[in-house]
Amino acid sequence: MIKSIRYVLKENFSNLFRIYSIAKYELLADMRDSKFGIFWNFASPAIQVFTYWLIFGVAWSRKPIEVNGIVVSYLPWLVVGYAIWWFIQPCIQKGCSAIFSKTNVITKMKFPVSVLPATIVCKELFNHGCMLIIAFVTLFLCGYTPGLNWLWILYYLFCAFAFAESVSLILSVLTMLWRDVKKLVTSLIRMFMYFSPVIWECSFNSSVPFYEVLNYIMKLNPVYYIIQGYREAIFYGRSVLDHPMYTLYFWLVVLVLFAIGCGLMYKFKKKFIDLI
Amino acid sequence: METAVKVDHISKIYQLKNKDNPHKASQRFYALKDLSFTIEKGDVVGILGTNGSGKSTLSLILAGISDIDQGSLEIHGEQSLIAINTGLNMQLTGEENIKVKGALLGLKKKEIQRITQSVIDFAELDDFLYQPVKKYSSGMKSRLGFSISLALDPDIFIVDEALSVGDKGFAKKCMDRMMELRDNEGKTIFFVSHSMSQVRKFCKTGLWIEGGQLQEIGDIKTVCDHYEAYVNQLNEMDPKEKKKYLNQKFKKRVLPQTKKGFFSKLTGGL
Repeated sequence: MIKSIRYVLKENFSNLFRIYSIAKYELLADMRDSKFGIFWNFASPAIQVFTYWLIFGVAWSRKPIEVNGIVVSYLPWLVVGYAIWWFIQPCIQKGCSAIFSKTNVITKMKFPVSVLPATIVCKELFNHGCMLIIAFVTLFLCGYTPGLNWLWILYYLFCAFAFAESVSLILSVLTMLWRDVKKLVTSLIRMFMYFSPVIWECSFNSSVPFYEVLNYIMKLNPVYYIIQGYREAIFYGRSVLDHPMYTLYFWLVVLVLFAIGCGLMYKFKKKFIDLI
Repeated sequence: METAVKVDHISKIYQLKNKDNPHKASQRFYALKDLSFTIEKGDVVGILGTNGSGKSTLSLILAGISDIDQGSLEIHGEQSLIAINTGLNMQLTGEENIKVKGALLGLKKKEIQRITQSVIDFAELDDFLYQPVKKYSSGMKSRLGFSISLALDPDIFIVDEALSVGDKGFAKKCMDRMMELRDNEGKTIFFVSHSMSQVRKFCKTGLWIEGGQLQEIGDIKTVCDHYEAYVNQLNEMDPKEKKKYLNQKFKKRVLPQTKKGFFSKLTGGL
């Protein structure tokens, strides 16, 4: 196990320039075909957020969200949550085909396959940057000004990166073994969004039976930790120091996922070409 | 002389799909069976064999891309496979593709800058260099791909039917470059080609594999003669006889089947 983790880490860190170049030129190739190019990297998430806000915020007139006496109106609350989802969702979805979509590369040259999930995550990191800019502009228009506590975003960004990398390591290998994994993930990811506090708080009120247990289960989702972390950093002035046990749980999950991903990657590193 | 490649009783097994049920693997099949040979450094080896005899599998194994199922393999030095369809990105321009390919091959930024000019000179694409590759003719694509591969500096080249593209002028240019690699830089080269004249002219050692097994290894002239005699003999057979003969050859490569599902794949390897 340790050997495989060391193998994956070493391969990734010794190929940083390779990862950067692949991510960069993938992005460039995506933009090349459209006239407005990078404009769409901003426009599509903005339209998504606008849609959710229109339906849930305006049409269904969601009340502002209140936590510990701090009231946050729905639009800024949503835009922050969606910013992370805009990063994690494509990482998981595209992470599935990270290896498979590079068939023409891995069959033609000796290639460190384990860097491929990282290239997807780095590419999406760029889109996340675009989305964060939108989020900050929205927050600014809603009257929020950056404070020192906002720096915790960087920590949670790292959490999101580690989580996305671990998950796409696992899924990319599983997709090679079993192509159905990708279809399964594509179908499940929509459901997964509603089990994460992206457009609602993911907490049941007391009219639901077993609501305490259900709320507890919701928190077991690692994405809950990341999204909640972003919101705490921006709105509630809280940080990771306020819930050390939850942090420990999150990193334990990520570590286990990462170890599984590395194990799979190490086991099949030379077999991928036969699985195509 | 130093050894460049030592192949010791290697085998490669592929799964064949069932005719009636494509979800089940029905047979296991030796792509390569019990192959052993030793190649010295600076040697130029022509790999011969009819279609489906395992040439490409062997070149993938020698390039370190594919893994072997049995036996052991020792390779001293960096390898690089030169194949026809080397992954170019259709959306990007020729110049950008040089950078991408360089990065994919693991070159540092400085090395990429260094090779860019020599690739541009060698490929002779002129103004097309700044056009997206999707606008290229197939000849231009292979010129670009081949030029990038040739600009690298590995110890062992594996050329898999890559010289059969491009016009005569470019093919000659490539051949000259390969000759230069052979004579001046002392690279070890594996050369897979169906063009017997090229093989005779270029290679020193012949390696003939038939039905996944080593048929003959030795001086290029003798191996080429034997191979050509074999091909002629095959062509002269009447269709029925030939079919029977090929069928027999196929049967020899088939292995008894062991059933494997998704979970055993996950736990037991392949």
